[in-house]
Amino acid sequence: MQELDEFINTVKQLPPAPKVLPELLALLNRPNIDASKIVRLISFDPGMSAAVLQATNSAFFATGSPTADIQEAVQRLGFAQIYQIVCAVTGGKSLAPAQQGYGIDRGELWKHSVTAAVAAQLIARRKGEDENTVFTATLLHDIGKIVLSEALTKKYDRVIEEVEKNQLSLQEAEKKLLGVEHAEIGGRLLARWKFPSNVVSAVWFHHNPKAAAPSEKLAAYVYLGDLVAHFIGHGFGHAAFAMKGRSEALSILDLEAEALPLLMIETHQKMETVNALFALAA
Amino acid sequence: MTPPTAVELGFEQKVVIGIAELAVSNNANATLTTYSLGSCLGISIYDPEVRVGGLLHVMLPDSRIDSGKATAQPAMFVDSGIVALFRTVLDLGAQKQRVQVCVAGGAQIMDNSGYFNIGKRNYEALTKMLNDHGLSVHAEQVGGMVNRTMYLNLATGDVRLKVSGQPQEIFLCKS
Repeated sequence: MQELDEFINTVKQLPPAPKVLPELLALLNRPNIDASKIVRLISFDPGMSAAVLQATNSAFFATGSPTADIQEAVQRLGFAQIYQIVCAVTGGKSLAPAQQGYGIDRGELWKHSVTAAVAAQLIARRKGEDENTVFTATLLHDIGKIVLSEALTKKYDRVIEEVEKNQLSLQEAEKKLLGVEHAEIGGRLLARWKFPSNVVSAVWFHHNPKAAAPSEKLAAYVYLGDLVAHFIGHGFGHAAFAMKGRSEALSILDLEAEALPLLMIETHQKMETVNALFALAA
Repeated sequence: MTPPTAVELGFEQKVVIGIAELAVSNNANATLTTYSLGSCLGISIYDPEVRVGGLLHVMLPDSRIDSGKATAQPAMFVDSGIVALFRTVLDLGAQKQRVQVCVAGGAQIMDNSGYFNIGKRNYEALTKMLNDHGLSVHAEQVGGMVNRTMYLNLATGDVRLKVSGQPQEIFLCKS
């Protein structure tokens, strides 16, 4: 564990901590949501306030005359939308840049993350699960790639070789060549940033949901969201599909294999509307 | 004197085909493009005689999963998409015996369980359908673990691919 933290410490360009996100998630998970606390939290961050107002007044959401008041914005849009906007602003900053070591161009990791989060949220809705937590964990599942990208830049050929010749998954290839892998690093980062432990485990084990116990359900949402994003073409970079099939992710969530194609259709449709919202951040 | 038209000036028309969409053209200045083929298939057909072609981006093998969608958006599925693609290309004067079929996409994750093999099922549905109609694939780059972008040049019938993580485009089919 200590070596991992040391590795994170040696990285020059760590993604900025999404401070507002874990706090907002905690506020929204309370039985009685206190709107004034949410308003205060957003108002505390000028960049965030501006983004929330911009979104509220955008053509996509605008319902009346423009507002410059966060409280009114929260009232108009509701908690769920506000939360997604905050996710979009915080996540987009970290996930939009190119990740050269992975062969990921600018905007691609962000598009992948949003698509995965939308897919996972659609399953969560059907299952009556806490959508905000599922959305958050899935949106941030690849945050560790930002940390490893630089180290991988010089080892790209060897990663491809490990994947193609030795049939290692991308995650296994990272572990072999760097001694660390992106899911683990992502989990460590989120723990540092004080995200709840279930979100930390789900990200940490998003390539092997069973190992996330007792948070295997949340990890299975993340896994399937990630998969659907790849399937519908929003998975990018070298050996983008070098991930292991984990059919238990379906059984953990009590889903049939036939649910996947339908989920692909639904996610594709949903992305058309979501893109308007998330274009704000990229 | 009337000014030259955009086509006369060599204007290049770039048509982008989204997921579950198709486009056909007989405009030699046009390039049909489809991005982000994961487990989806990009299927191009081109008749070099009359320089008519089309490009289709299908997501799933079988339209029976959602018959409403199959009617509203036939390009979502291999079976309904192929019918729509051929019909529109033949309407523009192409002939079935002359068309070249190129295919890309159908990426697969590392899975032996068969639960997640949508890329493979897409490809199988396509080849079966082509066989049933006495057609075959002219050129293909299918499967593997990469994301692909596919371009069809209407002037030449050339099909190019951009593979994720690789800097250079490659020719899938060159006239």
